[in-house]
Amino acid sequence: MARATLRRRIRSFSPWIFAALFVASCQLPTAPPLPGEPLRLSRVAGDGDAARRASMRIVLSALDADSAGRSAEASSLYERSLQVDPTNPYAWLAMARQEVFEGDPDRGLTHLDKAEALLGSDEGAAAHLAGIRGAGLRAVGQGALGEPFLREASERAPGLWADGTLDAAELR
Amino acid sequence: MVAAVLLLAGFAGGFAMARMVVRLDQVVRERFEGRLFRVPSRVLSAPIILYPGLDWQQVDLKGTLQRLGYRDSPNAKGLALGRYAWQGAELWIHRRAFEHPTRAEPARVLRLRLAGNLIEELRDADTGRELGAAFLEPELVGAYYGPDHEQRELVRLGDVPPHLVDAILAVEDQRFLSHRGVDLRRIAGALLANLRARGIREGGSTLTQQLVKNFFLTPERSLQRKLQEAVMALVVEARYEKDAILEAYLNEIYLGQRGSTAIHGVGEAAHFFFGKSVRDLALPESALIAAIIKSPNGLSPHSDPERARKRRDLVLELMLQQHRIDDAAFAEAQAEPVRVAQLTLEPRDARYFLDALQRQLPEFYGTATLTTEGLLIYSTLDLRLQRAAARALSEELTRLEKAYPKLAPKGESRLEGCLIALRPQTGEVLALVGGRDYAKSQFDRCTQARRPAGSVFKPFVYAAALEPSGGGPVVTLAAWLDDAPLEVPTPAGLWRPKNFDRENHGSVPLREALEHSYNVATARLGQQVGIPRVAEMARRLGIESPLPSVPSLAIGAADITPLELARAYATLANGGIRPQIRTFEDVVDPNAGRLERQPIDFERVLDGGTAYLVTSLLEGVVDRGTASSLRAQGLVGPIAGKTGTSNEERDAWFVGYTPEIVAVVWVGFDEPRSLGLAASAIALPIWGRFLRDATGGTVRGAFLRPPDVAEIEIDPTSGAVALAGCPARRAEYFLPGTEPTTTCPGWAEPWRADDPGKPNLMERMFDAWLERL
Repeated sequence: MARATLRRRIRSFSPWIFAALFVASCQLPTAPPLPGEPLRLSRVAGDGDAARRASMRIVLSALDADSAGRSAEASSLYERSLQVDPTNPYAWLAMARQEVFEGDPDRGLTHLDKAEALLGSDEGAAAHLAGIRGAGLRAVGQGALGEPFLREASERAPGLWADGTLDAAELR
Repeated sequence: MVAAVLLLAGFAGGFAMARMVVRLDQVVRERFEGRLFRVPSRVLSAPIILYPGLDWQQVDLKGTLQRLGYRDSPNAKGLALGRYAWQGAELWIHRRAFEHPTRAEPARVLRLRLAGNLIEELRDADTGRELGAAFLEPELVGAYYGPDHEQRELVRLGDVPPHLVDAILAVEDQRFLSHRGVDLRRIAGALLANLRARGIREGGSTLTQQLVKNFFLTPERSLQRKLQEAVMALVVEARYEKDAILEAYLNEIYLGQRGSTAIHGVGEAAHFFFGKSVRDLALPESALIAAIIKSPNGLSPHSDPERARKRRDLVLELMLQQHRIDDAAFAEAQAEPVRVAQLTLEPRDARYFLDALQRQLPEFYGTATLTTEGLLIYSTLDLRLQRAAARALSEELTRLEKAYPKLAPKGESRLEGCLIALRPQTGEVLALVGGRDYAKSQFDRCTQARRPAGSVFKPFVYAAALEPSGGGPVVTLAAWLDDAPLEVPTPAGLWRPKNFDRENHGSVPLREALEHSYNVATARLGQQVGIPRVAEMARRLGIESPLPSVPSLAIGAADITPLELARAYATLANGGIRPQIRTFEDVVDPNAGRLERQPIDFERVLDGGTAYLVTSLLEGVVDRGTASSLRAQGLVGPIAGKTGTSNEERDAWFVGYTPEIVAVVWVGFDEPRSLGLAASAIALPIWGRFLRDATGGTVRGAFLRPPDVAEIEIDPTSGAVALAGCPARRAEYFLPGTEPTTTCPGWAEPWRADDPGKPNLMERMFDAWLERL
């Protein structure tokens, strides 16, 4: 009985407790603002379990091949990276980039869909997701739909997306 | 008069001879100027990828190296190409170069530091550079043979090491470069030797004659055939350069047998005996190949290494006598023991896969092309998984036959089964076993047989019911279904579905209805959703077979193939993205580069949230429902799946998936008869065994919940939000906009409606939060 009374008393203060928690959470240090911190795959290559790390090393090799103009080799390597870890979102992202800018943009957009589903709410990747989608839509003749995405990418990562494209080396 | 007759006879004889020569010349030209050899196209597996953290024992690295023809070496220092060596906790592999038009890999010495079962570190031994991953060349899955069942790898003379040519000439035809097709000195010598031995001990045929015999003539021994052989040899020599004749000989010569496949040519023999390219042969290896030409099976180093060694040493002696090698090379080569690569047969159970692959290739690649053009087809097959699948199916079916007399063979009728495994993200076929024995039946039950789906169809009903459409979904995961007796009027009369246990279970939670595969509750849900919508969902997910528009479709009254079922479940595993089935990556002509490529292709057909809800339901089937015995088999990690037993228990299915693999097992008789058992006793153990072998028992990864799917604590009885004071609670998933809006009825009980102390919503949330703390 005493416990129920105590509980009722505490409960009556609940709006104040919630408010205090909210104010306190606002004081916590937060991640730096997004622009200027777009995703570079070499920075996440050491994350995850052994299969993910191996898959990422292959993705980086693929990006190198892609940068050097060996795009067929890059495609093969992306597929190898998926053989090790088919749920590696960065492999799908890199493949989407390659397809949108150098291959089949329609396929690139579906790869991007896969990357997006696996990335969840990865803020660092948001600029690339938006930019590749925008460029892909533009490439398949839906420029009007693509422009807002490209604008978003450019706002999030002006250093990389101001020209509306993303090189393999820039993603690396 | 006599002179005239003689002249006429001579003229007639000369004319007949000239006619024969012209005819034989035509035969020779037709063959030499057309396609000289039929080369079967080969199918290669996906490559093996090594990386730090990989369990090298689980992927059977040692067995793989042996199957690839790598040989054990006692010393890592100066490790020869195609060899591996153990040095303490390190494994060194001198990996061969991998030739591919777009992903060539140079030869490289790999140094693997091992810690228990794991590869701890991977380095390039020459540079010391740490490697994130390294590839081994793909294994041979099989080939498309012509009627002669010959396998050869064509080589150019320039690729053949001079010591191999020297070894062959030394023992088979030492005056090849000087004679004109027939070596009279050699014939005389052979004649003399045979007379002395009073039998045929030695042949006097030159390489050209041997080539002519193999190309144009029968093995029959007669004077007429010998004469024909000699004339044709002269014609060949007159028409073609020595180099062309030698190259043809090197590619034609029969050198042994791998099972039913004949090994022809030095290129193929180099791989067969030494696991390496002809270019990389060492002198003793070349001498051994030359040695066995005389009797490839009798002198085979696989069956009688000592006899092969003696003959090899004889070849080396001849080379020394003919000044083709010096004393030092002779001594060194003779001291080398005979070491050959392990004799590995092509995996027979992969024949079903080869057939399926051929059906998927564009029409251009018909049987004629595949059996003659020597193409290389880089497939998606994972041979380790393929072996695991074949083993699981074969051994488990045999066990079932012994355990259940009803399943024992009756005459020709024998229990059959199939297993297909895909990678859900890419649609790649990783393993395919279409039956128990390809030699007995080439009918592929995974890709060609349509069988009643039974309960494995039910998840499509739930997917259709959970997918928001128009005014929202028909149900949420918090719903309850009615499993009371049901009657549905149909043109054929009333349809009354029955549960497997012949019981009705009243009102049941939706999860329980699928976990225990209740037919009546699911049939009723199918009615609520509408059969056309159920069929449309199945089609979207990947079912292509005709689907009858009848109420019983909801509980699987449709004949479908295991392959399309695998694809539909792969779509669920892949978050609603439907993959295209992919059996190969590319087709390569070794001379002309890449001819064909099959890209990874897929399409979103279902929202990720709905796919996740169905996956969550199917996880329940494995954790608590009809497939819970999988956990007893020791499988740990995220697994979703569904058992299925068709009418009269004629078909037993299990379809299951992890985040990285989806596999379907079907078991039944080709001429359908009752199995007398549920799928959980028949198909499920096969699937479990396969997955355990494939993963080692621990499944990697997780089914990712899309960010918009909410996890909410609900009161299981009412499906309402569980706040403080609710008698029971469990977590449940909801799509946006489908979350429960009421709280559990029990919660309000401690207070009267007019009680001034009744907490408001914020206070209730606070209470719930406090309780969770």
